[in-house]
Amino acid sequence: MITAKEIYLSYDKNRFIIKKGSFHIRDKEFIFIGGNSGSGKSTLIKSLYGDIGLKHGELFVDGVNMKNISAANLRKIRRDIGIIFQDYKLINDLTIEENIMLPLKINGYSNEISKKQALNLLSHVKLSHRKGYRPNELSGGEQQRVAVARALAHNPKIIIADEPTGNLDDFSAEVVWNLLKGANEQLGITVVVVTHRVPKNFGIRFRQLSIDDGIIYEVS
Amino acid sequence: MKSLKSIFSFVIPLTAMLITFAIFLFTTKVVDDYKLKISNDYSIVVVANTPLVKDNINELSGIKVQKIVTLEKNKIINNIKDKLSDKSVELLKQRLPYFYKIHLEQYPTSSQLKNAKNELLEIKNIKKVEIFSKNHNQIFLLLLIIQKIIAVVFAIILIYAVIIIAKQIKIWFYEHHEAITIMQFHGASILYSASSVIKHAVFGALISFGIVAALIVLLNNNLELVFPPELQSVVGIKLLVKEELVKIFLLSLFISISTIFGVLFKHKMKNA
Repeated sequence: MITAKEIYLSYDKNRFIIKKGSFHIRDKEFIFIGGNSGSGKSTLIKSLYGDIGLKHGELFVDGVNMKNISAANLRKIRRDIGIIFQDYKLINDLTIEENIMLPLKINGYSNEISKKQALNLLSHVKLSHRKGYRPNELSGGEQQRVAVARALAHNPKIIIADEPTGNLDDFSAEVVWNLLKGANEQLGITVVVVTHRVPKNFGIRFRQLSIDDGIIYEVS
Repeated sequence: MKSLKSIFSFVIPLTAMLITFAIFLFTTKVVDDYKLKISNDYSIVVVANTPLVKDNINELSGIKVQKIVTLEKNKIINNIKDKLSDKSVELLKQRLPYFYKIHLEQYPTSSQLKNAKNELLEIKNIKKVEIFSKNHNQIFLLLLIIQKIIAVVFAIILIYAVIIIAKQIKIWFYEHHEAITIMQFHGASILYSASSVIKHAVFGALISFGIVAALIVLLNNNLELVFPPELQSVVGIKLLVKEELVKIFLLSLFISISTIFGVLFKHKMKNA
């Protein structure tokens, strides 16, 4: 599903954030990427959805080489990925229902199907009663639940999550983990999560990678 | 509320531009009508040593020749023959050159008249050409000047309108930068990400057209209030409402859509 061969990532010429990183993530795997603050976790997952380009090496996501990828191919790849950001990245001009409908509409689903799916997911994240609300009218935990619902809406092949529970209360964090576990176990979606702390008694099989000073290690 | 504000930011420059365009179309129509009206009364008089081959003169200074009328020699001689002997009349008939009146399809400008005169004098057997340049119509010249001024004003307002619309779209991009980025993270194209501003531009174009169309219809129904009957009898003010509305509608859509696609293209190139 995802293969990195000696990749180098950087924001400027002089300092590499990720150095000679190699790893392989199989289809339907649940992967945690750990490491200290500033170790390059977020940079690594940004490269998975093409927000940062490779300096050297090769990175294949769902069989597509991300190096010098064309704009059209990048759009195609991104339509198969659900992204969950630490700062939620919901669109405040849209209601939470419309936010969840967004990836479906981008993928060409009709308004009717998108709406039905959004309502279904809103009930899963226990926010049906707030479907007409704007994101800025919700708490942080509620916003992240909407972001998870949005990432799941179009049944993507891969979900990439950057510290999805970093700012959440225990209840919201549990809802988010349960949704991600369900996506992996029941829907067979490959899940890649960046986190400081792997939750205890996670309950499903997972693999863990760690980054230290730009070097990627396999932990378990 | 935000959408309304965005739509009106397109409406104001577009309406100003369309009103100027409507005035430009109107003055062009007035000038053309007036040109046609006075061209029927105008002709160039040519004096030739031998009969003119009319088929050789089809165009003068780029204007098509409508007809060439031969002025009968007898008419000229009849006016003076009472004072002359028969012998003198016969001699006069032999010596008198050939006179022609050349009617053009359009009323020429002063420079076109000079060119026409030169072109005629290049023909060997033409002895003299009278273009009556001193009588060249002053109202026509005034109308031409007004038409040119309005064309320049229209061009300036068109440029300003395009700049203002382009700026509005750039502001929209700035305000919606985060939303656009989020959409692009989900695989949206730039067209999809900017679909709301495209909708606003199209709505703006339709509203501007509606405002200008209403003004034109209102003006057309109340022409006598704006233009006194005396003026109308001189220059013949008429509006071709349907034709003008079609042109205004097309211009309105063209300017708003081409501007937005221009900005989108620039944005795409910048972020490629």
